This record gives sequence, structure tokens and C-alpha cells, in this order.
Amino acid sequence: MSEKEHKVSRRQFLTYSLVGVGGFMAASAISPMVRFALDPALEAGGESDYVAVTTVDQLSEEPQRFDFQVEVVDAWYTSNQPRSAWIYKEGDEIIALSPQCTHLGCTVNWNANEDHPNQFYCPCHDGRFEKSGQNVANTPPTRPLDIYEMEVRDGTVYLGKTIERKTV
Amino acid sequence: MKWRTEQMDTYLNAKEYVDTAIIPLMPVDWNNDPKGKVSMGEFTTLLVDELERQFKGRVFQIPPFVYLTSEDDTAKRNRLLAWDKHFFNNGFKYIIYVTSDGEWKRLEKELPDMLLWIPSLSLEAMDESYAKQIVDQQMKQILPLIANKWREEPAERS
Ligand code: FES
Repeated sequence: MSEKEHKVSRRQFLTYSLVGVGGFMAASAISPMVRFALDPALEAGGESDYVAVTTVDQLSEEPQRFDFQVEVVDAWYTSNQPRSAWIYKEGDEIIALSPQCTHLGCTVNWNANEDHPNQFYCPCHDGRFEKSGQNVANTPPTRPLDIYEMEVRDGTVYLGKTIERKTV
Repeated sequence: MKWRTEQMDTYLNAKEYVDTAIIPLMPVDWNNDPKGKVSMGEFTTLLVDELERQFKGRVFQIPPFVYLTSEDDTAKRNRLLAWDKHFFNNGFKYIIYVTSDGEWKRLEKELPDMLLWIPSLSLEAMDESYAKQIVDQQMKQILPLIANKWREEPAERS
């Protein structure tokens, strides 16, 4: 190997390694921001894969609770986490609502408070929602229950991620 | 809410709504039936995680209060009282201790707030859906206990 080639290749090596280090530093500077950007999405149920939850013939006009599991990748490990949905039929339409109260995240229940029949009720601070998920004025929640992305294939109901709504 | 920095931000903005601390009580004993103690801790964690999921917006899940089973009753109780006092004086009106360790039953009267003692079941032999049913059944009994508690005045501390 000639002296000249040697120098070039060493400079190249240095260049590569500097790029390498620079890239690495940039990555570590950016990744915290990326995490911040991603976190709310994860909270809202950022999973994009659809999960089979129930079959259409199980559904009625009355909201029923279905439990299922989703795979969540949280930084460096993957886990199965429990999820629930309140699902009902309205004519031909199927509606799947997230049970997470939009105030601070407690799990709401259908028809659970005698004083407020046919509403979703949050036991934590008396938040209430109409059947459609619309939040009831003068209770703590300020937006409707989130709705699940949904697909029906061969009579099976698949749920995806949850979507925030401003109004119903 | 969970013991995580990003949930602390939510907490700090909504403190007045989060008035209940949940403290798991977990025994350790590497001499006498260590596996039994692990199973107690595991079961307690499962229940407390589920409680947190149901009541996320009103409860804070505190890290476990851990003790050697050989620690004597008075010392153990006094340590727990110090935890209780700390959280009570810092904004939590209700404090719930959750455990599978039956020893706490004896000390229940000396505790200032609510003890939930749920005997542990060995989940390892069960398949997942059965284990889930068991936890759901327990939950059906526990959730109303807590909802009722919220209708009462907080317990006085001396
Ligand atoms: S978390 Fe539902 S009303 Fe506050």
C-alpha cells in the first residue's frame, strides 16, 4: 500500500467515524423529542394493528363491554396490555367507544349510576357521557369518549386505535 | 396514575382530583417458602395494576412497601404509618394498602386507613383467560368497596 493511499484511507476512516459519532449524537439528541412526540399517541392507543374483539351476532343496541389485549411496544420491551371497549349497534352501524374517561382516564361504565340511567358514568369525579359518547355539560370531562377504528370482516369485529373527537 | 415521570406532569396539573394513594404491601422471605412470597407479590401487583386501570384519574399507584417477614410487628407497622402520614400530609385524603399477606389482618385495627387483603392464588397453573376471570371476579368485589369509601369522610389521623 503506498503512503498516499494510506493517508487517504486513514482520512476516510476518520471521516466515517466522525460521521458515525455525529450521527450517533444527533440520534440521541433527537430521540428524546421523538419520544415526547410519540407518547401522547401511545396513550391514546397508538397501536395500529387491528385485533379481533367480538362477533357481530353478540352485539345489541345496549352497549356491552368487551375486553381484549393489544401488544404494546414500550421503549425496549413488548407487552400485552388489557383494553376494553363499549360496543353497540345502531341500526346497521356498529359503534365502539373507548372506556377511558376523557377527564383523567378512569374507566367508565354503562348505566352504572341510578340517578343517570342510559349514560356512561365515571366513578372518579362523576363524569358522564351520552350513549353516543358525547360528554354531558357541567361534568368534568371536556370532550366526548374516544372512538375505536373499526372493521368488520366475515362477521367479526376488529378494533384498531382510538380516535379523539371534538364533538359527536 | 403510575409512578412515571410523564404521568407526574398530568398529576401536577390535576392534583386536586387525585386524592387516593394505593400502596402495595409485599413480604420478602428467602428462608421460609420464598416462592409463596413471590406469588403474593405477583398477585398483589396484578390487582393493583388493574385497580389503577379502573381508577386512573383518582388514584396514584405508589411503589411497594417491602419488608422481611422477620421484621417485628411494631417496627413494620411504624414504618407503614410513616408512609401513610407522608402521603396523607401531602395531598392524599384516602390511602389504601393492598396485600396478599394475611399477617396484616392482625394489624388491621392499628392501621389508620383501608386494608384490602386478598389471599393470593397461584396463577402459574392457570391458563391466561382463566386467570383473567379470577382477577375480574376479585375486581367486582373490590371496586365497590373503593367507590363506597369515596362516599365517606376520610379517616382521621392522630
Ligand atoms: S376521570 Fe372521569 S370524571 Fe375525572
